[in-house]
Amino acid sequence: MNCREFDARLHAFVDGELDAGGMADALAHVSACPDCHERADGERRLRQLLLRQPRETAPPEFRARMLALARRERMRKKVRAWAGAPALAAAALLLVFVLIARSLSTGGHEPELVQSLVDKHLAFAQLEGPAEFSSTERAAVAAWFRQRAGLRVTVPDLSSAGIQLVGARIADADQRKVAYLLYEKGRVLMSVFMVPEVGGRTPLAGRPMSFRGQEYLAQESHGLRTVSWRDGQALFSLVSTLDYSALLECAEQLRAERAREARL
Amino acid sequence: MLRWIMNSHQVSEFEGVALVHLDLLYRAALRLTHNRAEAEDLVQETWLRALRHFDRFDPGSNCRAWLLTILRNAFLNRLRREGREILKSDMVADGSGAARFDEASLTHSSPEESFFQTVLHGDVDRALKTLPLPFRIVVMLADLEGLTYKEVAEVLGCPIGTVMSRLSRARQLLRRELVALAREHGYSKESR
Repeated sequence: MNCREFDARLHAFVDGELDAGGMADALAHVSACPDCHERADGERRLRQLLLRQPRETAPPEFRARMLALARRERMRKKVRAWAGAPALAAAALLLVFVLIARSLSTGGHEPELVQSLVDKHLAFAQLEGPAEFSSTERAAVAAWFRQRAGLRVTVPDLSSAGIQLVGARIADADQRKVAYLLYEKGRVLMSVFMVPEVGGRTPLAGRPMSFRGQEYLAQESHGLRTVSWRDGQALFSLVSTLDYSALLECAEQLRAERAREARL
Repeated sequence: MLRWIMNSHQVSEFEGVALVHLDLLYRAALRLTHNRAEAEDLVQETWLRALRHFDRFDPGSNCRAWLLTILRNAFLNRLRREGREILKSDMVADGSGAARFDEASLTHSSPEESFFQTVLHGDVDRALKTLPLPFRIVVMLADLEGLTYKEVAEVLGCPIGTVMSRLSRARQLLRRELVALAREHGYSKESR
């Protein structure tokens, strides 16, 4: 092996990635060539330096959240599997589980978007400080969205319903950036998602519900209620354990404020 | 019935197989996004995708490479969505190829080496941030996390030869950056 050949194998040599024959050849070369020996040592030192870097670990509450997500997914898969159980299962039994599947609203055809928003809500509801940007100031939150992601977001005032703004996040759901407002009523978290429409119309999950002349889609799963609607080029979804009437009031307030902002 | 048992078995297996790699995913996401909130969001997306596609995971294959592949793809999708330029730097990575054999690369070495003793805490992170994305990813996988070439190739979806050439170029750039930082801290050859 000459220096040119060694050079081509230098990194594989240092990383122990050569086969036995290649390793023997390379070792023979470095023992005879001080330049290449020195180069290999230099690469080795760099590698050791990199391996010595502190290795951060995921925060415990984040780890707990991921575990909870895995458990939740297991529940969902169970229900889904029962719903689609093979024909050999007794018909009555099948019916029971189809009903359960319905009531948990985890049918396989459910559009992905609302479910992924519910997942976000669940994941962050378990956190002490769920917001990425914490503020009770509506203007500050709106400004943060503008600066951080170039998003124009209406931040509704829900204080008349006893619901306080706590902050905001930017999340990814269904392949796009989502503005995510967090509100609290007492200890109950409510998530308000604004999802820009890209391309075609994204199907929204839920059954139609009418409230003061406006149309919504509502769904409930595991005690979590969502109210979703489409408004111009955006989809909105409220997620919380609050009851439907509270969610619909909030939805109406948000729609009204958006209409007012649009007029300005 | 049988399917249900298998499914439930599979998901509990997911936690058993994947949870040990959560720290690795978190570190990788942090190095890609430089932002804790974004990193957590990215890992969560990865985690959910992995959970939902766990039936496609071959138990005999490499779980950390599989998870990192999902993470990398999710991250690149985000960049594309945000319209950030990544394709260009990908081309740079493969076009310029290996640190080619030349006189300069033979003689660059020794006198600078002892600066590695003086590299300050945080320098590696700073230097790494200056690397184009494909180089940053390959160093992160091979050097910081200790993946084998085969695993790195699997994550990047490229031949092992590409891993080798990219890694060699990445280390060269990283070294140059570290030397520059060491100089900034006042280290010079004379002061040794």
